[in-house]
Amino acid sequence: MSNSSTDLLVRCDRVARTYGSGPSAVVAVHDATCQVHPGDRIALMGPSGSGKTTLLHLIAGLDDPTVGSISWPALGDRHSLRPGPLAIVFQSPSLLPPLDVVENVALPMLLLGTDRKTATNAAHEALARLDLDDLSSKLPEELSGGQAQRVAIARVLAGRPRLILADEPTGQLDHATGIRVIDVLIEAADELGAALIINTHDPLVANRLPQRWDMANGRLTILGGAKIC
Amino acid sequence: MLTLTWLRGLLARRAGRLSITAIGVALAVGLLATLGSFLSASKAQMTDRALKSVSVDWQVETQPGADPQAVLTSLESTPGIKAAVPVGYGDTKSFETTTGATVQTTGAGVIVGYAGDYRSVFPNQIRDLAGATTGVLLFQQTAANLHAAPGDQVTVTMAGLPPVTIKIDGVIDLPEIDAMFQKVGAPPQSQRSAPPDNVILVPLDQWHRLFDPLAINHPELVSTQVHVDLVTSLPHDPAAAYSKIVGDAHNLELKLTGQVLVGNNLGAKLAKARSDSLYAQILFLFLGTPGAVLAGMLTVTVAASGADRRRREQALLRTRGANSRQLLSLGLSEAIAVGVAGSILGLGLALLVGRAAFGTAGFGATNAAAVTWAAFAVGAGLTIAAFAIAVPAWRDARDISVVAARQTIGRRREPRWQRLWIDVILICASLLVFWLTGRNGYKLVLAVEGVTTISVNYWAFLAPALMWLGVGMFTSRIASFVLRRGRRPLAWLIKPMSAGLSDTVAASMSRQRRLIARGVTLVALTAGFAVSTSVFNSTYQQQAEVDAVLSNGADVTVIESPGASIPPNVITELSAIQGVRKVSPLMHRFAYVGNDLQDIYGVNPTTIVSDAKLQDSYFQGGSATSLMTKLAHRPDAALFSFETVKDFQLAPGDTVTLRLQSGTTKQYVQVPFTYTGVVKKFPSAPSDSFVIGNADYIAKMTGIDHVGTYLIATAHGDSTAVAGRVQTAVGTNALVNDVASKRRKIGSSLTSVEMAGLTKVELGFALTLAAAAAGLVLWLGLNERRRTFATAAALGAKRRQLGGFVWSEAIYVTVGGLVTGAAGGWVLTNILVKILTGVFDPPPTTLAVPWAYLALVAAVTVAAVVIAASSAIRSTRRPAVQLLRDI
Ligand SMILES: Nc1ncnc2c1ncn2[C@@H]1O[C@H](COP(=O)(O)OP(=O)(O)O)[C@@H](O)[C@H]1O
Ligand SMILES: [Mg+2]
Repeated sequence: MSNSSTDLLVRCDRVARTYGSGPSAVVAVHDATCQVHPGDRIALMGPSGSGKTTLLHLIAGLDDPTVGSISWPALGDRHSLRPGPLAIVFQSPSLLPPLDVVENVALPMLLLGTDRKTATNAAHEALARLDLDDLSSKLPEELSGGQAQRVAIARVLAGRPRLILADEPTGQLDHATGIRVIDVLIEAADELGAALIINTHDPLVANRLPQRWDMANGRLTILGGAKIC
Repeated sequence: MLTLTWLRGLLARRAGRLSITAIGVALAVGLLATLGSFLSASKAQMTDRALKSVSVDWQVETQPGADPQAVLTSLESTPGIKAAVPVGYGDTKSFETTTGATVQTTGAGVIVGYAGDYRSVFPNQIRDLAGATTGVLLFQQTAANLHAAPGDQVTVTMAGLPPVTIKIDGVIDLPEIDAMFQKVGAPPQSQRSAPPDNVILVPLDQWHRLFDPLAINHPELVSTQVHVDLVTSLPHDPAAAYSKIVGDAHNLELKLTGQVLVGNNLGAKLAKARSDSLYAQILFLFLGTPGAVLAGMLTVTVAASGADRRRREQALLRTRGANSRQLLSLGLSEAIAVGVAGSILGLGLALLVGRAAFGTAGFGATNAAAVTWAAFAVGAGLTIAAFAIAVPAWRDARDISVVAARQTIGRRREPRWQRLWIDVILICASLLVFWLTGRNGYKLVLAVEGVTTISVNYWAFLAPALMWLGVGMFTSRIASFVLRRGRRPLAWLIKPMSAGLSDTVAASMSRQRRLIARGVTLVALTAGFAVSTSVFNSTYQQQAEVDAVLSNGADVTVIESPGASIPPNVITELSAIQGVRKVSPLMHRFAYVGNDLQDIYGVNPTTIVSDAKLQDSYFQGGSATSLMTKLAHRPDAALFSFETVKDFQLAPGDTVTLRLQSGTTKQYVQVPFTYTGVVKKFPSAPSDSFVIGNADYIAKMTGIDHVGTYLIATAHGDSTAVAGRVQTAVGTNALVNDVASKRRKIGSSLTSVEMAGLTKVELGFALTLAAAAAGLVLWLGLNERRRTFATAAALGAKRRQLGGFVWSEAIYVTVGGLVTGAAGGWVLTNILVKILTGVFDPPPTTLAVPWAYLALVAAVTVAAVVIAASSAIRSTRRPAVQLLRDI
């Protein structure tokens, strides 16, 4: 394990996020300090409403903390995270309805400025890796929930990120499909050598990952676990 | 109970969408109610104008054998008659005057006996020109023929009686000469073609002294009438007023069986007003209906964009145990609430507009009309609300689980109507109907004189209605075809704004062609509506102007008074007057065509077309320019009226010898002309026969270049003010008329009805619709895809890249909609103008295009689109994290 700061993917320093103000304010994340290193496999556990999504969005640079600071020493500044070194799998369907599967998978690369041909080839490759080639020309509305989530993972894979965040990726799937999706996700992260954080309230999902962060009422506890060094 | 809770919930959470729907309903209701109140107001105005334009309401002619005194007495006691004044008519063989050594003799003439109170009861019948206002009054044209002036003696010859000499006290004009000398009781087609040229008015007792002796041997040469002024409390609607007045006249004839015939001048005017009012109604229908329908469509579209959410809510309600009937009644109550709120708002709007337009009078001309139109408008509003809310709710309630309904992108086949080419069939059907109505000469309104019912050829409505439908559907077909098949060229086109994503943007647009084609269609229809409404209105305005110019001759005309002569340097003098742009002489003389004395106009053929704003429709057998060119090439060329050509069996090239008065000897001399063409109308010319020739030729042949009439073009708008200054300059030597006052005077014709207010409402409405359609539809479409944009932003799409998606679509919708809308609007305007030919007098040669207004519509549309698109882009500036959490 290297402790050089350039190897650190994410550093959260006493981060808090409050929604609203005054008496109705909700503190969704409370004084969280954490770090994400290359190769990390983290299950972010906690009951519904505990602040998991909020923390994930903060780490993804989708949201700003109200207190504290976040930095991405090895990934670059906030604006160059996505598309690029950081990719997200959302809880709800996140494929763009008017684009077919290949176009959806190729989109992050196109957004980065990759030429169409290269992007399309990479997309086909990523789909093939996940055994999804036969879906290439389908539209999102023609896919089942599990298929859509796997395509979203293919999209992550095609972008070759260094950190993958997944927000309850199995939340809308039946159990068997959910487990399959998690396995695909872990395989993808292994293949890319990327760090992975999965939000979940399902212990069965959490058990598939070596590290564990717990979230309760906005408070984050790092439980550690078998770290891969 | 559930309903109330539901509605309260809706208000709290969907206030925006509900109020947009209600505003859509309000716009449609407001438009219809405003049109209604304008319509009934202008109908009332038509009736009013008909009443005011008639100077003698009835001319009741005593029939042979009846006692004139008894008839008079009986009329005086008839209810509804305000005043009854006896008038005598006696035919003479000739009038004669002697000036110095020359003797002037006219043909047959009429001497009219008028009672002492005649002029005060009917102030508009006689207009004083020179001399005394009572006693023996000589008609101006006769005075010209006889070279007679007040103080001169005229010798009257009557059949079988010694000549009588009477002294002229004054010279007068008879503005209502046609009605005055009508054949009472005869249908219009058997009326005299022209009133008599020779008329003298004498006091009634003097008339009796002259004609009582004649009546003994020649009763057919003498007749008496009673001129009647009616108490006019008539219905506001010209048709109803017409029925009443015709019925009253028939009643009178029945009451005095066989003793009288009624010449119903008021009835004749109302008959014209009646068909004019029907035309007005048709006009409002043609121009108003598409507007209301479009407002409805827009509302339905807006409401439909909330369908997804509504379906989700219904599903939720269903899981909580609500059944289909309850869901349906919820949808229905939502529709009624929105419909009623929108209707109240719309009626308020109409009330405001009406108040602004008619002052305190407010809404509709009569209570009945107001209630009818309000009810009609509210009915339409509720229908729209039902289509927007209740019908979709009902459809959802029937099969809530239909997955297909959720598939908004999909690879669904093109809609059935496209596969069946219904749009093309509709357009062909429209053209067919158009052609069929064209064969009947576009006769929309059939009004038969004396028949109280009037019929409208409603089939003609089919042509524009089908065309509207066809154009709308065809636009949708083209828009989606281009998106489906033209992905490559589209990608190439949008390259500049799609930030390297052109293929992806094109693919995305192609798959959303349903949504985008809907936007294009709505923009096209509203733009087409704006084009057709505004072009139609300007053309109408243009023709009204032409009509007024036609009857007046120019912006301002100066016509020499009989006996007076304008000094020759008058052109320079007139040109110097402030506001005068150009003065053109128009020579006016009289010429004998056979035995018929006609007006002859001497023109300068190289300048007259523009000076007098000549229209092609004034002529037959060539355009204004081509016939004037012929005149310019041949000094003795002349244009005659159709009746003259028929009567004299003229063929082009024939020589026609006319007699004109010589300037030197004052004798009539023979002047040969060559028949070159037919003239139907000419500025300031009478409605019957007249002649057009070269001014230089007439001057040369008669030895005098005396002009008589001057046409003045004003520098800018206010012709009445210029006319006032001109009148001051020429004094009593000439009559000065101007277009604006003329237009105010022209009877009850449709053109004179104040349409300005209506036009403003219509144009404002069209503008609002165009902006709303473009902005709202685009914004709602983008808003519906907020989630998609938020996802793209979360994936890292930069603002510029998101803008590529939004702008490509916005530009496609705007440009596609405006271009097809302009084309469709153009086709529709042409159809409308042709079908409504009867509205135009004279029919237009060219359409008037209000470029400024159309530019404004385009600008407002583009502005609305820019606002909608940039607000959609702005809302994606920060990835909408919240949206990503939603289910
Ligand atoms: N936009 C918001 N405004 C107010 N409160 C919010 C908002 N988003 C989330 N919250 C609240 O913050 C808390 C944490 O939410 P979230 O991060 O979604 O938890 P989890 O993902 O663990 O379910 C919850 O109490 C939630 O209600
Ligand atoms: Mg969550």
